[in-house]
Amino acid sequence: MKEKNDYEHSKRYGMVIDLDKCTGCGSCMIGCYTENNVPFKADETNKLDSINWIQVYKLTNGKPYPETEISYLPMPCMQCDGEGKLGHSPCVSVCPAVATDYDYSTGIVSQIYTRCFGCRYCMAACPYHARKFNWWDPVWPADMEKYLSPDVSPRMRGVVEKCSFCFHRYQLARNKAYYENRQTEELGEDEYQTACAEACPTGAITFGDLNNKSHAVYQLKNSPNAFRLLERLETNPKVYYLSSKKWVRRQGDNYLANEEPGLIKKIDKQHH
Amino acid sequence: MKIDRRNFLTYTTAAVLGGAAGSMLTPAPWKLMDDVSIWTQNWPWTPVPEAGPVTHKQSACTLCPGGCGINVRFVGTRPVKIEGLKDHPVNKGSLCPMGLSGLQYVYGPDRVGSPLKREGKRGEGKWKKITWNEALTAVTDKLASLRKSENPQSLACITGSSRGTLPSLIGRFLTVYGSPNLLRPATVQDANEQALFLTQGKQGTLGFDIENADFILSFGSGILDGWGSPGRMFRLFGTRKSEQRIIQIEPRLSNTAAKASRWIGINPGTEGALALGLAHVIIKESLYNKNFIEKFTFGFNDWTDDAGITHTGFATLVEAYSPEKVSQITGIPKPLIESLAREFAASPRPLAINGRGQGTLPGSIDESLAMQSLNALTGNINQIGGIYIVPEQTYAKWPDLGMDATASKGMQQPRIDGAGSDQFPNTRSLLNRLPGLINSVKGDSPVQALLVVDANPMYTLPDTAATRKAFDKIPFIVSFSSYMDETAAYADYILPDHANLERYQDIPTPAGMAHQTITLATPVIEPLYDTKHTGDALIHIAKSLGGFVEEAFPWDDYETFLADTLQDHWSDLKEKGVIEISPDSKDSAVLSFNTASAKYEFCPAAATRQGSKDSNAPSAYTPAAIEGDEKRFSLLLVPYDSIRLSGEQIANSPFMTKTVEATVLKKQMTLVEINPKTAKTLALKEGSKAVLTTPKGKASVIVHLYEGIMPGLIALPRGLGHTAYSEFLAGKGTNTNDLIGSVEDPASGFDMAWGIRAQLSKA
Amino acid sequence: MNETPLIPAGVKRCSKWQFSLWMGAVTAVLIWGIYAMFLIWYKGLNQTNMNDAYGFALWIWADLAVIALGGGAFFSGFLTYIIGKDDLKNIINFAVIIGFICYSSALLILAIDIGQPLRGWFIFWHANVHSMLTEVAFCLSCYFAVLTIEFIPLILENPRLAKKPFLHHLSHNMHGVMAVFAATGVFLSFFHQGSLGGVAGVLYGRPFAYREHVFIWPWTFFLFTWSAAACGPCFTILVTWMTEKITRKKLVKQEVIWLFAKISGWMIITYITAKTIDTLYWALVTAPSKGFTLMDFYSSPTYNIGLLFIEIVLCGFVPGLILITRRGRENSFFLMSAVILAVIGVSLNRWVMVLQVMAVPLFSFNDWYTYMPSWQEVATTVLPVAYGLIVISLAYRYLPVFPQEQELNPID
Repeated sequence: MKEKNDYEHSKRYGMVIDLDKCTGCGSCMIGCYTENNVPFKADETNKLDSINWIQVYKLTNGKPYPETEISYLPMPCMQCDGEGKLGHSPCVSVCPAVATDYDYSTGIVSQIYTRCFGCRYCMAACPYHARKFNWWDPVWPADMEKYLSPDVSPRMRGVVEKCSFCFHRYQLARNKAYYENRQTEELGEDEYQTACAEACPTGAITFGDLNNKSHAVYQLKNSPNAFRLLERLETNPKVYYLSSKKWVRRQGDNYLANEEPGLIKKIDKQHH
Repeated sequence: MKIDRRNFLTYTTAAVLGGAAGSMLTPAPWKLMDDVSIWTQNWPWTPVPEAGPVTHKQSACTLCPGGCGINVRFVGTRPVKIEGLKDHPVNKGSLCPMGLSGLQYVYGPDRVGSPLKREGKRGEGKWKKITWNEALTAVTDKLASLRKSENPQSLACITGSSRGTLPSLIGRFLTVYGSPNLLRPATVQDANEQALFLTQGKQGTLGFDIENADFILSFGSGILDGWGSPGRMFRLFGTRKSEQRIIQIEPRLSNTAAKASRWIGINPGTEGALALGLAHVIIKESLYNKNFIEKFTFGFNDWTDDAGITHTGFATLVEAYSPEKVSQITGIPKPLIESLAREFAASPRPLAINGRGQGTLPGSIDESLAMQSLNALTGNINQIGGIYIVPEQTYAKWPDLGMDATASKGMQQPRIDGAGSDQFPNTRSLLNRLPGLINSVKGDSPVQALLVVDANPMYTLPDTAATRKAFDKIPFIVSFSSYMDETAAYADYILPDHANLERYQDIPTPAGMAHQTITLATPVIEPLYDTKHTGDALIHIAKSLGGFVEEAFPWDDYETFLADTLQDHWSDLKEKGVIEISPDSKDSAVLSFNTASAKYEFCPAAATRQGSKDSNAPSAYTPAAIEGDEKRFSLLLVPYDSIRLSGEQIANSPFMTKTVEATVLKKQMTLVEINPKTAKTLALKEGSKAVLTTPKGKASVIVHLYEGIMPGLIALPRGLGHTAYSEFLAGKGTNTNDLIGSVEDPASGFDMAWGIRAQLSKA
Repeated sequence: MNETPLIPAGVKRCSKWQFSLWMGAVTAVLIWGIYAMFLIWYKGLNQTNMNDAYGFALWIWADLAVIALGGGAFFSGFLTYIIGKDDLKNIINFAVIIGFICYSSALLILAIDIGQPLRGWFIFWHANVHSMLTEVAFCLSCYFAVLTIEFIPLILENPRLAKKPFLHHLSHNMHGVMAVFAATGVFLSFFHQGSLGGVAGVLYGRPFAYREHVFIWPWTFFLFTWSAAACGPCFTILVTWMTEKITRKKLVKQEVIWLFAKISGWMIITYITAKTIDTLYWALVTAPSKGFTLMDFYSSPTYNIGLLFIEIVLCGFVPGLILITRRGRENSFFLMSAVILAVIGVSLNRWVMVLQVMAVPLFSFNDWYTYMPSWQEVATTVLPVAYGLIVISLAYRYLPVFPQEQELNPID
């Protein structure tokens, strides 16, 4: 947290996930596993003991047949800007050993596995359950170690991990730009994309710099159908969702019986 | 100072404590502390992937018949990731969970690493590693002895599909060997092809121009659950125009239903009645395409043949399917049926599509005909946004076969499964009938040797118990599987094929595509283990058999055969990986039909409908009876498909299973979906352990309450309940095929079961 | 050579045989705990029933609870050395021992609780000063050192050790400066007890725990310090009473207990009043601003509104009122009931601030998270209890813990 926060002018990578397009196929999860050397166990049915950097939740409107509707909601790390957008995400401020940090040049919350000593305070702090603990030693059976990517180091038992917005891809793109004598500030939208965004077969996930007007996410996030998860906690997530369904938008946050999602947002905006 | 026992202890303690305190002042403990933490950061059992230059190689996914293009990322010589190939005409960059986890199949624990010979009892899992020479000799000897005993037709071969050059090579092998028994599972494509042949008189597959349709009426097709080529379907959904409407008709709120513009619940198995009901409204309200009906169709109205016999026309036929009646059958409100019919007919480019779930079961010919009739009513035959006939892949002609007497005699024997017989003249293969037929024979099995290629019938065939019983009667089973699947585990010999990415495979037009493509999967890595391409293995066996069999295979290996077969496409395919063949767009060709009337025949006259008492009976709706006594089994069990689970010959990867929701699989048990209302009558709660019973078997399951399923139904996911494979799949949940049998369509012999009667009771 | 006895002069202790039997039993439990501890260190935290929703569970509760209960040490030190309540000198030794046990246990549990125990020192080396846990770790370690220093002179008073002139003088001199350490202890305790409150209170992603504005600083910090100061003495009284029952001896004069109880009572009353204000503001302002009603947090069968009643009324106001009234605290049944309720109250508060924080679902599409500790977690949580019993037994047997014991139990 040494660098100064230049909220308006630095890059702020973010994501817009169109839930109308999400079919719940799970490709984003698998794209992420293969990109980030995520391990697997024989039994992964306990989802609270299953490492997923992006997890697809199933939402239902709760109405009886045949009025029932469902919507899927993929949840990666929200890369929160934190209260007051100062970079104090719920997790970064609590980590006792600076094993997770907020990068002011990209807005990405990092996780240093070799620094983490597994106190799990960050997990207690994260309202999205985006952080996963390595309860087990990772094991790749048969010859599966051979397909591991060198871009992301496999984690050891006893540390916390989470979605990094494929930060290694940002580093690779930046290195490439550097070798080509280009300014890293001018990285193209397609030069840095997350694995889940690329894997999504319906193109429901859009990724880019939320501060960059030429990036698709810049416009998308201003849609009237856009919402963020648990916005009222003031975590300031950089993952936005789009849904044409009101009941889905409502499930993205908590509202009192007399409150309407849209209205609350306006009040919040005036407040700041 | 005197040192005695007491003060010795005191001084020693003091020295130890002092020493300990003193050593804290030296760097040693601090260095040690640091070293220990560095060790935890580099535990030797945590792998460190080797770095290297990054390259990409293009190929195609062969894990399902979808034929998606893939881009494999390499680090050095190691492939590290599979991504969708952006400029492939089928999937345009989109890939399903199975394709994305393709590397797990290559490197995973399910691979068979060398030829194996069974040591213990069948299925016991005791194997002996043998050399390829021993394996090929063993198979050749057995095959030679069958021919010697003038019994070549007792050799059967089960393949995963009939499409592509490998099945053709196997077909050629069987022909020259003397056996007509090349079997494969039928899918909805087969039923549609047959309906297509009856109505248009042409051989070809049915393509759906979903890209350009603006009103898609899906009769339970899981277009977002793995139907057709998943890569294509996802891409189409993601890029569809906002005006495109998708209406999903099925009793369960599937992912497709959830994403559809509208979901309409329907009593299971009554889709055909709904199609005829819609036709009723369209005709009654005169909403059909009159130009097309008048000029290009036959059998719309009643007609009289040369002998003066009057036949019922389609319009008359559907008179019986009034919205009231159809509402009763389907459970869909009458006004909804009417408005749906009007919307369908009013749309510029409406399209009805069929094949429940992933379309892996054919269903009845009646159903296929009903759907096609609906498309014909709006004139959407070989039109943009409609259904297309996609011609069969043509290959270069191979050298003529010489056939000895044994082979000729063998080839004159009827097929075991009855396909192509007088009963089912238009049907090509009826694998679903095989277990029953073998089991019904007293004495020796008509199949004395079975070769299984790219198939896993022990898992995928309905009624697993019957299949196992039939296989027990087959004295010699050879599996060519790359993986230790159920059939391989039950075989006598395993002659493992290369895995995906390791082998050549040509992929003809994937199911549902509206125009022709040929994709070539080229090997991008060297085979990891002691495996052999099945094409090579068969060529080797053919050559060892000698005589005409040997002569029929002048090729050195499969690659030469493939190059020869694909002829002028070969170099293109090697270079580009895929070629597209644009449909003939000239109207004359488009609207030419090879039927007796040279028109689209609503009520096929020339090709009579087999199995029906009235050989001139037109397409109708015969309710597909399913198994089970209504009193004993008050509920209906319907299997459902999910893109995160594979019910086909290539099973789930560990990653796919990892994504399976906790509402589908919990520890080793499957969750069945039932409506809370139904659960209440059965005194079952969320998470209750229950026993699911059908006429075919029993399974322990967990109850999951789901509002999105019609009351009275139990939904069970396909793709679980494997008994073979490694701990990442084996023993997880229930195989739907253990509980559901096959129901024969009297017209085609195809399996038309959409479920089975069942009971659910507290465990 | 005439051996100086190990047992202090003028007091009676049970036979060696009886003592060994007792110690053997407790050691068996200790070994069970140690076995579980090594199992966890060897195999990892998969031996627990914690999960990604319950990153903090039984152990963190145990940590928070023992630190609160060990609060008797700093608060009696504060009263004795700073306020000058000399009467409390008669119980402070025991308070220090209990504090020492509690704090060493807390450190041990932390060492088991972390996924990479061998890197545990990173909390000091790579410290993030913004983290409450860093603050807790520093203060906890420092205060543990202080408690050790406070404990040492008492150990040196063992007759055989006291025979050595050096140790005797060391002990004497340490006693002389003990006020300084007591003050340091109080200072450190104010910090880390408060920080422990902050551990949950600063979690703005967890609306059940989160307190805003003045209610996080200094209110929550104050509440934790205050509750430890209020209920720690109750725990000291409880353990003293238990020791008296087991040894069948009066060890501390009842007036001392009453004084301690009275002070504790007023502390509880003030604490629970402040806690009530905090709860009201949180329930009426903070939670609704995040879209939650109070009942949203108490909608599970386990975590129902009864819990709040138990914590604030039954285990807060009730014991407080008993202890501040003379008739209440001087009736031994009421006194002990109040003391037990207060101990339960503060433990429940720590439970709620750890476990319920984890249990509350934040999305309507998630259900309440449930958790049941594994036997390994239970064993390692019982471990400090066995360890504490051993330390207390040894201290009682060999050290002059209770200055009034001789007077109250003259040997014929």
